[in-house]
Amino acid sequence: MAQDERIRTRSFVQRSLERPELGSIFGLLIIAAAFMVMTASSGTFSAMWTNPVGIQAWVELAAFVGILAIAAALLMIAGEFDLSIGANIALAGHSFALWLLFGWPIGLAILFTFIELALVGATIGLIVVRTGLPSFIVSLGFWFASRGVAVFMSQTLLNQSRLSVKAELKPPAGGGEDPTWVDNVFAFDKAFGLNFDAEVYYFIIITIVVAYVLHRTKWGNWIYASGGDPVAARAVGVPVARVKIMLFVFSASMACLLGVLTVMTSGASDPKAGDFRELHAIAAAVIGGCALTGGYGSVIGAVLGAFIFAIASRGINFVPFIDNNLFRVMLGLLILAAALLNQFLRNRVVKG
Amino acid sequence: MTPTIEIKGISKFFGNIIALKDISFEVFKGEVTALLGDNGAGKSTLIKTLSGVHKPNEGEILIDGKPVVFNSPRDAAAAGIGTVYQDLALQPLMSVSRNFFLGREMSKGLGLDFDAMNKITREEMAKIGIDVADPDQAIGTMSGGQRQTLAIARAIYFGAKVLILDEPTSALGQKQQLEVIRTIKQVRDRGDLAIIFITHNDLHAKLVGDRFAFLNRGKVLASGDRQTIDLDNIRALMAGGAELAELEAEFENG
Repeated sequence: MAQDERIRTRSFVQRSLERPELGSIFGLLIIAAAFMVMTASSGTFSAMWTNPVGIQAWVELAAFVGILAIAAALLMIAGEFDLSIGANIALAGHSFALWLLFGWPIGLAILFTFIELALVGATIGLIVVRTGLPSFIVSLGFWFASRGVAVFMSQTLLNQSRLSVKAELKPPAGGGEDPTWVDNVFAFDKAFGLNFDAEVYYFIIITIVVAYVLHRTKWGNWIYASGGDPVAARAVGVPVARVKIMLFVFSASMACLLGVLTVMTSGASDPKAGDFRELHAIAAAVIGGCALTGGYGSVIGAVLGAFIFAIASRGINFVPFIDNNLFRVMLGLLILAAALLNQFLRNRVVKG
Repeated sequence: MTPTIEIKGISKFFGNIIALKDISFEVFKGEVTALLGDNGAGKSTLIKTLSGVHKPNEGEILIDGKPVVFNSPRDAAAAGIGTVYQDLALQPLMSVSRNFFLGREMSKGLGLDFDAMNKITREEMAKIGIDVADPDQAIGTMSGGQRQTLAIARAIYFGAKVLILDEPTSALGQKQQLEVIRTIKQVRDRGDLAIIFITHNDLHAKLVGDRFAFLNRGKVLASGDRQTIDLDNIRALMAGGAELAELEAEFENG
């Protein structure tokens, strides 16, 4: 075929301007630079940026929020929403702790907790696709219900709010199954000689796998199409309902992963675990370029959004001249600015 | 020669509403049958019946002379009916080739085979006269006429023998309308596809139509080929015909 005279050669810069994660790349550079300058001027630069404990603080937070933000981003691209992620962290942690307290072997306790949370996700998804109710409402119901069930399990059944499982996570004195093997294969904190929690390694793996699925496989195509125009997607044979249910299951499973890891690291399950995390995850996804209307967004953007959130959130502790309570104000402005920038960039894609 | 698709006495009722009554026409390969009709004439019901969304209450559909029964749009597609709806079933934020293969992606190993999909998209679009500037480009950047062409090329590539075009020119500007007419002509001239062109624009129908059927209030009022049909009469019918005369009389008497 003859070369088409209408092929416009667009430069790398022009093409890059159409990527959904562009706004968050700028955002991350600006936030990181701002906090580097501010910490440097307050003499805390090394505490935040070179000291291992300082780095650990914001990297671990970014990983925690980032895992949830990836799930939130996938759902938003598919045009849905999950407010129950944070509450499901508490539900998963409590369920896991209860099975341990009932004397179950740790492997079985983890497996069962994942099955339970997958069922919760599938239920949300089924209600959304079968009834056509907005997922905002359906998952709001589960936002209350999941945490309610967690509190009920601990306070009513065991008459304590925090469930301590320190004893259950140690090798039993009288012999028997040693639960610490799970620590090595599942909650592999401090791997590769690095001082990070397991969340950080899971975050890296999940980011790579999900980014590949989203951008390079037909499932990714279907996720974008389900959010972009579900009617059109169905007309060409995309199983829209199945795609959405699977994403709700994924979202609940990520909450489960974090719930279980938190219990294994801290030795106790707190009914307040994951409070507000659903909003942090959505904030990271929005900062990362996801459109609430569906069909647009990226996993890399959500990951960068999680880093922006974490640097701002932890960084404020290293800057004495900014009041900690102003963090939410800053986050709020950040979300608004990001949403405006992303809308501008999105319009460029459609208009060429 | 047997028609590629033959519609024999199709009727469709919704409760006590007669949406279609005794519709018959045929389409041969390499030909365009233009189906004309005003809003509410039953065009949408007829399209949905032919594409497997509705089941007819009476009559039958024959493809290559064999009677067929469609229980779902999937059945109709498998039998070679390719329907290009008015909204085109495209995703504006996705690329041209992703749209082309959406729901029927080509994979290589674990991932998608982008090279093959881009190549086929460009080739298929070129066959009906549109050079795709860049298959990675978002569809939102294409003109309405080009999007229409993409939807048609996709239907053909995925095995349509009968192409049903639902008002392909109605939502477009003048220039783009003609672009689509040219595409229809090009597809017709391939000679292997039977085309049902639904429109309420008699000028467009006249440009590419070989046979004509005029639908009004669920019935075929007039039909024929270029020689036998009186297109001026059709135009009068389209413009309201009898109703218009009545109104005229009413005004004069009033």
